[in-house]
Amino acid sequence: MHTHLMRTIKAERLKLKRSPVWLAFFALPVLSAFFGTNNYLANQGVLQNEWFSLWSQHSLFLCSFFMPALIGTFCSYLWRLEHLRTNWNSFLTTPVPLLCLYLGKLVQAAKMIVLGNGWIFFLYFLCGRLCGLDASFPPQALEWFLCGTLGGIVICCVQLALSMVIRSFAIPIGISLVGGIGGLLAGSQGLGLFYPYSLYSFGMRANNPQMEIDGKVFVLSCVFYVVLFCRLSVAGLQRHAR
Amino acid sequence: MKILMLEFYKIKRRKIGLTMAAYLIAQFLWGLWALHDPTPQAQAQGFLSLLYYISVLDAVMVPPIMAVLASRLADIEHKGCMYKQLKTLRGSGSLFHAKAVCGLLIITVMFAAQYALFILLGYMVGYQGHPDAAHYILSYGLKLASNSVLFLLQLMLSMLIANQMVPLVTGLCGSLLALLLTLVRTYSFLPWGGNLSGTLVTMAWNDDTQNAVFSYRLYSPVELAAVGMIFMWLVIFYAAGRILFSHREN
Repeated sequence: MHTHLMRTIKAERLKLKRSPVWLAFFALPVLSAFFGTNNYLANQGVLQNEWFSLWSQHSLFLCSFFMPALIGTFCSYLWRLEHLRTNWNSFLTTPVPLLCLYLGKLVQAAKMIVLGNGWIFFLYFLCGRLCGLDASFPPQALEWFLCGTLGGIVICCVQLALSMVIRSFAIPIGISLVGGIGGLLAGSQGLGLFYPYSLYSFGMRANNPQMEIDGKVFVLSCVFYVVLFCRLSVAGLQRHAR
Repeated sequence: MKILMLEFYKIKRRKIGLTMAAYLIAQFLWGLWALHDPTPQAQAQGFLSLLYYISVLDAVMVPPIMAVLASRLADIEHKGCMYKQLKTLRGSGSLFHAKAVCGLLIITVMFAAQYALFILLGYMVGYQGHPDAAHYILSYGLKLASNSVLFLLQLMLSMLIANQMVPLVTGLCGSLLALLLTLVRTYSFLPWGGNLSGTLVTMAWNDDTQNAVFSYRLYSPVELAAVGMIFMWLVIFYAAGRILFSHREN
C-alpha cells in the first residue's frame, strides 16, 4: 500500500511538472495582501488592533471567496488529464488500488494548500513589518495556519469529487465560487462549522482574528467531510472502473 | 445564422447557464437576508440603493462567472481537437463571431433575469414606490456592455489557450482587481472596472444619522470618458479575438 501510494504521488507530481499552476497561488495572495495592506493603512483610525486588524484586511475576501475558487481551479487541473481522450482507461488500469490513485491527487492538493497558506502568512508577516508594526507576530497565527490548512483540505476533497465526476473544467470552479459565496451566508447564520466551503475561512479566522471557535467541533466537522468525500470519490472511481 | 444555430445546438443539454443561475439565486437569497428589515429611510431609497448594490456585487463576482461561461463555450472544440477541422469547413472569423453572439445572448438573458429578481426583491422587502424605469433600463444597458467586455476578453483567452486554467485564473485575478478598484475610486479605464464606471448611483455615509444616502451620480468628464472606454474595450476585444483566433495555428 505504502509503495503504491508513493508511486501515485510521484506520478501526480510528474503530471504537474513545469505546469504554471503554482503561479495562481502565488499571484492572488499577493494582490490580496497589497489590497489588504492598503486598506489597513487607509483606515488606521478605525483599525487599531495592529496585527489582528491587518489580518482581518488580508483575509477578508481571500479566504471566503478567492481561495475556494482557486482550490477549485487546482482540483479541476488535477483531473484535467484524465478527462482528455481515453486517459480514463489508462488511469483506471494502473496496477494500484483506487484509493491510492485518489490519495495521490489529494496529497498534491494538500501540498498546494500548505504552500499557499505558508505564502499567505509570509506575506502577512512581511506586510506587517513594512507597515511598521513593532509588536511581536501573534502566536495564534500558527493555529490559524493549521486550522486553515485543515479547512482547505476539506474544500480539496469536495472539489476533487466534483471535478472527477464533471468532465468540464469550468463547472466545478463555478460551483466552488458559488460555494464560497454560500459560505459567507452560512457563516453569517452561525452554520459555518457545518458547511464545507466556510471551514477554510473559519479556520483562518478570516475577518475576525479574535473569534473563538469550538476546536473539537471544527476538527470533527473537517474529518467528517474529508472521510465522506474520500469515500464518495473512491466509490465514484469504482463505478467508473466497472 | 446557421453557425449560430449550431453553437446553440452544441450547448444543448449542457446546462451552460447553471453557474449563472446559481449565482443569481445566491445573490437573491443574500438580498433577502441582508435587506429584509429596512429602516424607513432605506425603504424610501430602496429601489435607488438596489442599483448601487447590483453594480458593486457584480463588479467583484461577475468576472469569474464570465470566465466560466466563455470556457464552457470554447472547450468543446478544445477537447475534440476540432478547431483545425472546423476552420476547413467555415471561416474562423465567423466561428468566433458565432460563439461571441451565442454568449452575448446568454448574458443578455442572464442580466435581464437579475434585474427582474432585484425588482421582485424590492417589492418583497417592501420598498416604497416603483423603480425608475429610465434609470433601470440605462443601468441594464451599461451593465450589459461592461460585462460583454469581460465575456469577450475571456472568450478570446479561452479560444486561444487550450489549457482552460489560464483564462479561469485570469477571471479570478480580474475579480480581485475589481475589488481593489471598488475601494479606490468610482470609475476605471480598465476592462474590469466597467461595472464601476457604469454605476448610476453613488452612496454617501451620513455620520450624524448613521445612514447611507443614495443619489443619482453626476458624471464628470473623466467619468464619462471611462464609460466611453467600455465601448472601446468592446470593439478592441471583439476585433482582437477575431483576428488572433483567425491567425492561430491549431
